[in-house]
Amino acid sequence: MSSNHSTHEQTTRHRHEGPKKHIVAFVLSLVLTIIAFAAVASGEINTTFTYIILVGMALVQVFVQMAFWMHMKDRGHLFPIMGILFGVIVVFTMVIMAEYWVWW
Amino acid sequence: MSAHELNGELPHEPEKATLEGRNKILGFWLFLGAETVLFGTLFSSYLALRHNIGDGPPASELFELPMTFAATMILLTSSLMSVFAVQALHQKKVKPLIGWLIATIVLGLGFLALEVVEFLNYIDEGHKMPTSAFSSSFYTLVGFHGAHVAFGVLWITLIILQLLKKGLTVVTAPKVYVSAIYWHFIDVVWVFIFTVVYLMGKVV
Repeated sequence: MSSNHSTHEQTTRHRHEGPKKHIVAFVLSLVLTIIAFAAVASGEINTTFTYIILVGMALVQVFVQMAFWMHMKDRGHLFPIMGILFGVIVVFTMVIMAEYWVWW
Repeated sequence: MSAHELNGELPHEPEKATLEGRNKILGFWLFLGAETVLFGTLFSSYLALRHNIGDGPPASELFELPMTFAATMILLTSSLMSVFAVQALHQKKVKPLIGWLIATIVLGLGFLALEVVEFLNYIDEGHKMPTSAFSSSFYTLVGFHGAHVAFGVLWITLIILQLLKKGLTVVTAPKVYVSAIYWHFIDVVWVFIFTVVYLMGKVV
């Protein structure tokens, strides 16, 4: 590979990798956080629906942050995705166990 | 060694330029998988025990939303600083890189200070570690997260010192990259903590 080619590759990659998408991810996280806090602070939404909003906002925010900030949407991240998904399955099982079985 | 000289000499995405660097990142993801399970166990024990408050105050009286909101904002901004650090790394600009890392740890320290104040308030209100199953599992979960933040601050500080001493090389670049991934992970865990512990604790 000539040095010219690699320089070209770098400049195109840099343009592609600007701070814009990270600021979008930040603003999105901010909005999702504010919605979650507002839902609880208002105290006017019924409990079940508040729980649904909270879990929804958290899952979307985590997805956004993992995809953009932890680079999981980038190429060559299949292994990390599989690893984290496996961890999530274990955690999900444990949380269900703790919530529904412990006090029976 | 050309790799130890700055700018131009350094390969594209220096954190993935060597096999050692790539292995470090892969190994770090394995570690994060284990961390996910660690925090999962702490979350599940908190969820199972949160209603057993004994003689202590209930979660809805204890938690203060403004405090949690401030902590959330600080950690979120800190995570953004860390992203900018990695961008500076990819542009091979050492000075901005160190600047963003310093911003990251300063905000991390702010978060820790807020958490210490919060815990001291709780202790005043009779919510101590041995008060109840709720308080023990609360301090274990949130404290573990705080300890991760403290460790991250220490770790990134040491990386800054290494950058000052050795500059940006194919050896130091993977360290910066991996510590950024760690910092985002800690922020992701906090998203679940403020949702499950604080906000759900406020909903009666």
